Amino acid sequence: MFEHVGVVARVKSVSITEHGDYGNRRVSQQQVLVGQSLFSHRPVFVDIFLPITSLTTACALLLQHPQFAQALSLSLWSGMAATLLALGVSAFILSTGLGLRTDHSHSRLLPAMLALPHVAFALGCMLLLAPSGWLVRLLFAALHPWAEAIPFALDAPPPWQSTQDPYALGLVLVLVCKEIPFLLWGAWAQLQRPDLAQAWQAQMRVATTLGYSAQSAWWCVVWPQLLPRMAGPLLAVWAYSLSVVDVAWIIGPGAPPTLAVLAWQWLQDADPAIGAQGLAAVLCLLLCTVLVAGLAFILYRMDLRWWAPARWTRGSRSITESVLTMGRLRQLSARFKWREKVALALSADRAGPCRIHTGIHHDASGLVAALLVAYALVAAALVWGSVAGAWPFPALWPQSWTLQAWQQVLGSSGVLGTTLWLGLASAGAAFLVALAILEGLPARWHAAWFSAAYLVLALPALLWALGLQRVCIALGWDASAWGLWLAHSLSVWPYVLLSLQGPYAALDPRGAQLAASLGRSRWAYGWQVQWPMLRAPLAAAFAVGFAVSVAQFLPTLFVGGGRFATVTTEAVALSSGGQRSLLAAYALLQWLLPACVFALALGLGRKRRFAPPRMAPGLA
Amino acid sequence: MPASFDISAALHLQVQSLRSPRATLAQALDIALPAGAVHTIMGPSGSGKSSLLAAVCGTLAPALQFQGTVHVLGRRVDGLPTRARRIALLYQDDLLFAHMTVRENLLFALAAGPQAAREAQVAQALEEVELAGFAHADPATLSGGQRARAALARALLAQPQALMLDEPFAKLDVALRQRMRALVFDAVARRGIAAIVVTHDPADIADPARVTHLSAP
Repeated sequence: MFEHVGVVARVKSVSITEHGDYGNRRVSQQQVLVGQSLFSHRPVFVDIFLPITSLTTACALLLQHPQFAQALSLSLWSGMAATLLALGVSAFILSTGLGLRTDHSHSRLLPAMLALPHVAFALGCMLLLAPSGWLVRLLFAALHPWAEAIPFALDAPPPWQSTQDPYALGLVLVLVCKEIPFLLWGAWAQLQRPDLAQAWQAQMRVATTLGYSAQSAWWCVVWPQLLPRMAGPLLAVWAYSLSVVDVAWIIGPGAPPTLAVLAWQWLQDADPAIGAQGLAAVLCLLLCTVLVAGLAFILYRMDLRWWAPARWTRGSRSITESVLTMGRLRQLSARFKWREKVALALSADRAGPCRIHTGIHHDASGLVAALLVAYALVAAALVWGSVAGAWPFPALWPQSWTLQAWQQVLGSSGVLGTTLWLGLASAGAAFLVALAILEGLPARWHAAWFSAAYLVLALPALLWALGLQRVCIALGWDASAWGLWLAHSLSVWPYVLLSLQGPYAALDPRGAQLAASLGRSRWAYGWQVQWPMLRAPLAAAFAVGFAVSVAQFLPTLFVGGGRFATVTTEAVALSSGGQRSLLAAYALLQWLLPACVFALALGLGRKRRFAPPRMAPGLA
Repeated sequence: MPASFDISAALHLQVQSLRSPRATLAQALDIALPAGAVHTIMGPSGSGKSSLLAAVCGTLAPALQFQGTVHVLGRRVDGLPTRARRIALLYQDDLLFAHMTVRENLLFALAAGPQAAREAQVAQALEEVELAGFAHADPATLSGGQRARAALARALLAQPQALMLDEPFAKLDVALRQRMRALVFDAVARRGIAAIVVTHDPADIADPARVTHLSAP
């Protein structure tokens, strides 16, 4: 069971290493098996339509639970911090000129980042950041010359918790890194719409002629128009961050864990009362999602009312000054007299030319580079981890290399096969459903479907999985391949539909009218014009669907009833064990499979190359 | 509903009313065009000029209501789908399909048939609009005038019985506009099809006797 590893892996809140205790309790093989069994046995069925009396009792039990308040606080803190940080960083990246650039070559990196499932990223971070992880080894190697001045030994993992930390910092870090590409993707779907892009570029030009710097113009003109359009992705990020189970289990705090993990553990309990308590916790998460989202909406609207009239009369003032002079902040700044100082310090964008296309004034390239480096490091850690043999601490490189884990992974054809057929079948079904909605329904109904898709994304993952399980039981498809396909397809379609939202909105409706005026049928227009023009986004949407299916954890477990294993369920199950190389191999595979499909999609969507004209131009 | 229509007209448009949810855009219009004639519709922005063309083509937005009739060569077409009306459209944007070459854009407008004959038609059409060397060109590499001519060739290849032009020269410079105008009006006259031009530019008026001014709603 245990191979010789130096990585600290966790069984609930317990850490293990090969070499000594290092301040963490060493666990037995039996304990690891208990941890793994949480992810492999058939989940207990808890009906989401509990009688109201049982639910009341469950709520009372939940409120009295000693870990409830702390777990809820951790969930709220990590969810809000991840959402706000991801939003802030994404907005900053967009504001520095990347958003409205005419060439979108930088956005080509997004699919590769989106293809990396949260679980794989979390596992990669664990391999990097754990007390015996690669980064700590690097740090210790660098500190070696000053070993005597350091209060702890450098030949053993440090006695701190850099993953599964009690403040959920590791969880927030993973969520922020993973949600930034998602928010950028959501923003670019809007920014790439020709109608919006043209209008916003023109408005920015007008703003710059009025004395705003490029970045101020972006914040004052484009951002207020873009932010409401990102409400859906933001809601999805908030709901996901609040209720994520697998990532929080891998890298989140352990004693207590987040409320979602606690709820997940309760739902596994054979005692119906504890199961009902788990359901109450899930409903509590739903309530928090709705309340915080509602509060944010109200605050946004209030702020807009305060701020909007003032925003357009700021002249050449920077956004920093605008923010500092708005509403209540104005009173505070007057009281503490820090307004001028902070404004002076931060409003560097007052001077300088207004360059709309290339005007990166506050340079975000460092931030983008840091994000790319984080992804590259995670990928490297997974590759490294999957082929590393014995690797005692604090050695920087493994003592031996082995392909044993890969042989084992490739030998488990059932897992690979299930992942592939499930991904392809559910992405295919979701793709057809999305096409049917976009092609078959009148355009005025599309908005309702997009809202429905965001609603699905805004549901806590556990509630969604419980609902899917309920539907499959009602259909008699529980623990069957059909049920699993249905569950994955239903989980995948919102992503596929939303990924096609931007490209379809960008289509000029006059193209269809023109084709009709030329006597061509709707089908001919679709087949010869529309779909070839949308080839790239259509292929990308399918790849997104495949990636989402591969990453599904809770629906696979709940609906599959433990009978179906995918690379994701295997990776999560292994995260509570000590088989580092096998864990890394599964996590890497979890990335490689969607990455291959994304690469195929990129190839399929490649822009056509035309031959140069064979004659000199005639009339200009 | 109008009781009669001009059987000799290539295009006969009778408008009782054209309404948006807020206002009546046009009413009591009767435009009868013989073959090869060009009628001009002018008026301020928002007066319903483009909507009138959309009503003729059958591409009117659902929010707008058209009451009236459209006859093409004596055949009533206002109840027919756009593709069955045989009325071609030209916008100020050429709307060439970006993933197709110029030749493929033109082929798109042709009915199915022997490929050699279709290719010959395309070659002839390109010759007519002085784009003979650009059959395999990427539309994005053409100049504005070349794109406009390619769009015109595509529209004419569909062998329409009427042609609707929605500010087709608005994006061209003055010299090019003049040449394009001559090319379009000449093609319309030679093919004997009726055309309606919506424009803000008085220079686009082909026949001063055939002008309708719409007023702001």
